Amino acid sequence: MQQDKKNSPLNVIILAVVLCVVCSLVVSTAAVGLKSLQDKNVALDRKANLLQVTGFEDLGTSADINELFGQRFEIEIIDLETGEPAVAKAMAALNEVGKKMKNEEETLVKYDQVWASKSKKDSVSDQLSKDEDTIQIKYREKFSHVYIMKSESGKVEKYVFPVRGYGLWSMMKGYLAVEPDLQTIAGLTFYDQAETPGLGGEIKSVKFKAQWPGKQIYGAKGDVRVQVVKSAPDDQYSIDALTGATITSNGVSKMMKYWLGDQGFGPYIKLKKQSQPEAANTTMVTTGEKTNG
Amino acid sequence: MANKNTDLIMDPVFDNNPIALQVLGICSALAVTTQLSTSVVMAIAVTVVTGCSSAAIAAIRDRIPSSIRIIVQMTIIASLVIVVDQVLKAFAFKLSQELSVFVGLIITNCIVMGRAEGFAMKNNVKDSFLDGIGNGLGYGLILLVVGFFRELFGSGKLFGFTVLPLQSDGGWYEANGLMLLSPSAFFIIGFFIWALRIWKPEQIEEA
Repeated sequence: MQQDKKNSPLNVIILAVVLCVVCSLVVSTAAVGLKSLQDKNVALDRKANLLQVTGFEDLGTSADINELFGQRFEIEIIDLETGEPAVAKAMAALNEVGKKMKNEEETLVKYDQVWASKSKKDSVSDQLSKDEDTIQIKYREKFSHVYIMKSESGKVEKYVFPVRGYGLWSMMKGYLAVEPDLQTIAGLTFYDQAETPGLGGEIKSVKFKAQWPGKQIYGAKGDVRVQVVKSAPDDQYSIDALTGATITSNGVSKMMKYWLGDQGFGPYIKLKKQSQPEAANTTMVTTGEKTNG
Repeated sequence: MANKNTDLIMDPVFDNNPIALQVLGICSALAVTTQLSTSVVMAIAVTVVTGCSSAAIAAIRDRIPSSIRIIVQMTIIASLVIVVDQVLKAFAFKLSQELSVFVGLIITNCIVMGRAEGFAMKNNVKDSFLDGIGNGLGYGLILLVVGFFRELFGSGKLFGFTVLPLQSDGGWYEANGLMLLSPSAFFIIGFFIWALRIWKPEQIEEA
């Protein structure tokens, strides 16, 4: 008798409904309640990565990271097509697609270019043709962050570009730091990737990262020469690929070609090189394109 | 009574180990064991989920209609896994990034479902909770053993600290690349089962 009652259709439905309500309450409480902590973690992790890629070590507590970041970093939003600063334009475009931004400061901090690319909306992203899309992002955002690290006296010390591209399993997202000559790489770090631990995942290893500083980006003709290859020749453009992770290594190589080329930060870099003729000479550039100014 | 509680926890660790004897939950044992730190977090996460889900299922076991019992168990387990994932993202951000999808995949871990269906549906809340914890620990033990050998021989480290200096970093140890690949976990689990059955011959199945 008891058994029949328990298995009656009405009881099945009641139990299913109650269970779903209870479980969804538990899940949403956890998700909403922890959201602010998680967002803080993510934001802090990005800042820590930006600081690390520009040469800061032993970052200390979260308060230290926030303070240091605030002192030394300037955030810019640029139009990838022209390379010009475009905070106001980005804000207008974001408001248009329903991401309400109150003012330019908020836009600078809260703009999420990966979201813009994934949104596939015309005002914030451009669809890429198959040939253009070497890094598998399908849509490229119109606006991008550029992080500028300055010395205490306000002189530009490094430019940091957000880069990303597909490896074997995952979208690898990272920051590429470049010296003020916009020709010499200062460092590369990945803050988000899910490549095979121990193989492709080694893009996060000290050994792989140590190869990047000092490498030259552009060849004499202004083409992107920096690359990741197997048994890399001992020159200033090549980085040794990871053992057992050909596809991940190729992904990083393509990512460099894309983001440093005309599709990516190429226009911005050209503009900057023209406007600061002298700054480029402070670091050694043995070959490679010098500025025209 | 105290004895029974200890049995509930200790029995699945050595005598009835979910991986070594029941051969459940192998998949995630391969995936997260390249480093000890991820193995530890995974072990804790699975232990918490198995314990809590078994307790929750035992609490409503008399009300669960048999026709939808698997779905009910899945719903409870899935909810708990999401909560664990969210907690990790909030309090152990670095580790949750390294574990990536595998935390979510605890849902598909056969051990959790196995204990829910096999034990919690027939026993009271306290026993089910202890049984869940015990099975989580049994799983965790294997993870730690596998993680220990894979990290030590694969990257010459333990918990990220260098133990065997690698040749690539100027030391003498040539890293064993096989240890970083999933098949090595099979070998280590195989050796573990072998050792366990020498110690406890009653676990040997009849041929």
